[in-house]
Formats: sequence, structure tokens, C-alpha cells
Amino acid sequence: MKRRIPIKDGLLTGPLDQLDSVHLSGSRCGSCGETSLGSNLACPNCGGENLAHVALGDEGTLYTYTIVRHRPPGNYQGPADFKPFGLGLVELDGIIRVMAPLRLEIDDLRIGMPLKFIPYVLRTNENDEEVVAFTYDSVGE
Amino acid sequence: MGDVYIVGVGMHPFGRFDKTYEQIGSEAAALALKDADVEWRDVQAAFMARMYLPATSGCRILRKLGGTDISVIDVEAACASGGAALRQAVLAIKSGDVDLALVCGTEKMPRGFMDPAMIYSPWQVELGISQNPSYWSMRAMRHMHDYGTTEEQIAKVAYKNHKNSVHNQYAMYQKEFSMEQILASPLVCDPIRLLEICSPNDGAAALVVVSERKMRELGKKGIRIAGISHSIARYSSDFRCPADSMSATVDNVGPTRVTAERVYEAAGIGVEDIDCFEVQDTDAFCEIELYEELGLCPTGEGGRLIDSGEVEIGGRTPVNMSGGLISKGEPIGASHLGQVVELVEQLRGNCGQRQVEGAKVALGHVLGAGGNCAITVLQR
Repeated sequence: MKRRIPIKDGLLTGPLDQLDSVHLSGSRCGSCGETSLGSNLACPNCGGENLAHVALGDEGTLYTYTIVRHRPPGNYQGPADFKPFGLGLVELDGIIRVMAPLRLEIDDLRIGMPLKFIPYVLRTNENDEEVVAFTYDSVGE
Repeated sequence: MGDVYIVGVGMHPFGRFDKTYEQIGSEAAALALKDADVEWRDVQAAFMARMYLPATSGCRILRKLGGTDISVIDVEAACASGGAALRQAVLAIKSGDVDLALVCGTEKMPRGFMDPAMIYSPWQVELGISQNPSYWSMRAMRHMHDYGTTEEQIAKVAYKNHKNSVHNQYAMYQKEFSMEQILASPLVCDPIRLLEICSPNDGAAALVVVSERKMRELGKKGIRIAGISHSIARYSSDFRCPADSMSATVDNVGPTRVTAERVYEAAGIGVEDIDCFEVQDTDAFCEIELYEELGLCPTGEGGRLIDSGEVEIGGRTPVNMSGGLISKGEPIGASHLGQVVELVEQLRGNCGQRQVEGAKVALGHVLGAGGNCAITVLQR
């Protein structure tokens, strides 16, 4: 099996070779209690440096969204055959809203709908490592 | 500390030109100097706002006016670059360091979506969380959900601004579009459509700013800078790029409200004292939200304000008489200074068919990446 790396250091937690056990990673501030996304030097709310690593919940609700109708510019790594996709802010556990691409059909998108976290292998990089990214999908099968 | 006045303005049209950025910027600077009846050698400090140009752009642009040894610096604060540059000039004059400064904003940008590597992290670009209108669109979608704002109300902003631009020789489009044309234009990021967003383009705007003493020496009647402020968004107050998340528990006041409060206090005025506005309509929804943030109407009622007609020329509080960025385009470094040029001409009574009758106090506002916000209030 190829070695796997997260698309951004500190963004994911859990063994990347077992995607079922991978979650978004956050930093909880010991001073103000705020939870921020990923690994941070200081709390973005209060500047506190006493941060604890936490796994964020896998289930969320859609706070707001848009539909990206044209291929994003620059080094976009989505499908070569572009298809419009949803992009949204997904609220997790009432503490944080994470910006994420959405895998479900664009016609099914509704503010407030339940969503679940989906880690996946986005691509293989120049070092033959698999890059793990994330998206959200509808909860139903 | 005395007041600071604008005694000269110059503008290169916004659009796409077969010219170098040095030509575009130096033409605007030369026009501002001419308008102020001063020479380049009279300038004691210069500030060049730009975002997409290379290092030492200010030197390269302004040396076309002649050799110099004054301080010339480039200033970048995303869409608020012009405001940040003007603020530096105001501070230089208020400190007593100089009496006469040139502030210029210049940009030359490629067509299409802006290069995302400039404002997003590489992983955001890979996942496609990096197309500029998407962030504005998500705000619009939530506003529609919370307050019942409609696609028609958003389109009305674009209709008004395109219509206003017909009389502005500096605008890129100068073309009226019908509501039907706007609502039939392609969706870029739902609910925002092609005729409801601004294009990155080329352009320049320049100002000559002076101390009160210098103004008297020149025998000029200037436009007073009653207040100017620049800020970036507080934590989780604004999900403009390149935010990767927002707090669900902290609800801070947004950058426009923060900056406006600072400027209103410095100027000793309230929003009710302002006769006309130029604001950041990077997309038509943004203008609706800004009505609320600047205090023109309560939160959630921006859609009803555009319906009321009060923000049209001839209304109680006209907004974007120039046609706004939707019709002018957004050459980023030049955009706020372009607003200031428009507002100076409004206060001088020089705006012809887009003139706001009797305007005495005017406000310019920009807002962009990082929640960079600048507001300038001018008074005649």
C-alpha cells in the first residue's frame, strides 16, 4: 500500500490507511474554549497558546452553500471532466462551520440538511504518496 | 494635527488597454498633478496601491514623470489597497513629515477568475474552494434563507449600477442591461450571475493630498478628508476568502461595521449626514449586505432598501453613482481611489447626469480578501 499524507498538515486525524477511522482535526483552546480547524500556533479567537488536539465530529448540517458552475482556476485537482459541484459551510457539533466541497447532487442541496464526513484519496503526488482530502455527502444511502 | 485635503484628482479609465501598467499609472498621476496645479517635483512622498503588479511598481510608474529621491512605497491590502495607501499619506501629512503627497492606485490584471494562488492556500486551490465568487454567493444564499432576500432584489442592484454607468466615461461597460437580461445571464456561483459580478481589469486613479497650510499656499479649495480607516476582519466575523472555517459560537461584528464606526466617530458624523456612497459591489448581493453594515437600513432589510428606490440617483441615499465595480471593473489597487475621484467630483458638482444634487458629504468603501476593509469620508 502506498504511503498516505493529508492534503494539509494537521487537518486530519486518525490512521490514513484506514479511512473509516479518519476525522477532521481541530484545536481546542484551554483559555476561551473555542475550537478552531486544524493545528494552530495560537487560538484564533483569544491568542491563547494552550491548545489541545481534538477530533471533530463526522456528522454535520449544511449552514449555507453555493454551486460552482465553472471549473475553478489554478491547480484544481477535481475530475478532468468538470461537473458543477456544491461548496458549503458544514456546521459540526454546534461549534465550528467548515468550508468543504460537497459530493451530493447539486439539485439535492438544502440549507439545514444533515451531512456526513467523507475522507478520500484525491490523487497520487510526485513522491508516489496518496494525498487524502475530504468532502461531505448526504447521510442516506 | 490639522486636516488633510484633496486638491487634485486624476483617473485613467477602467477597462482593458493595450498599454503597460507604467503608462496607465503615470497618466493618472500626471492628471492629478495637473488638476492640483502642482509639479511632480513638488511632491514630497508618494504611495502606490497595487496588488497584482511586481515589486517596485511605484518607482517604475512614477519615474516616468521624472527622476526623484522622495520616499515612494508600494502598499497592498487586497481590495482595500487604495484606502490603506491614502491612509498612509494622511498620516504622513498629519505627522508634519510632509505637506504634499501623491497617492496613486494602479493595476493591470488578466481576464477571468483571479489567480487563486494569490489569496488561497494550495490545498484550497486543489479542492476548488478557491473561486472568488463562491464565498460571496454562500453569504447571499444564507441571507436569502434568513431574511427572504430574492434573486430579483440582487439583480436590481446590478440593474441600477449598470444603468448609472452609462454616464461615466471611466467605466468599462457604460451599458444598460434589462432585468430580464441580468436574470438570464449564466449562473457563476448560485445565486450570483455573470452580469452581477465585477471583472478584474486595468486602470488607475490618483490623488494629490495636502496639509491645510499647503492648501492655503496653493490658493486651492480642497475636499476635506473627514475620516479614513482601514481594518481586517475580526475572528470569525466574515467568511471572505481565504477563510477555511467559521466559528458556530462566536459572532463578531463584521469589518464594514467596525471600520464604519471608527470613521463616523473620527469624522463626528452619522450615516444620516452622508449624501452619497460608493461601495464594494464585487457582486450585487454584497451591496445589499453593505446597506445594512453601513447603517443605511436595519439588518435583513437590504433587499427592501433596493426595492424602495432610495439608493438610486435622485433617491435619499444614492449608492454607486459611478456604476460601481460591477460596471467599472475592479483594477484592485485603483478601485478605492477611483471611488474617491468620483466622490471628489460629486462634491465639486462636476458629475453631469450622474450628479447628486447638493452633495456635501460622501463615503467610499471597499472590502476584500482577509476581510480587508477601508472607508473614507469626504466633506466639501
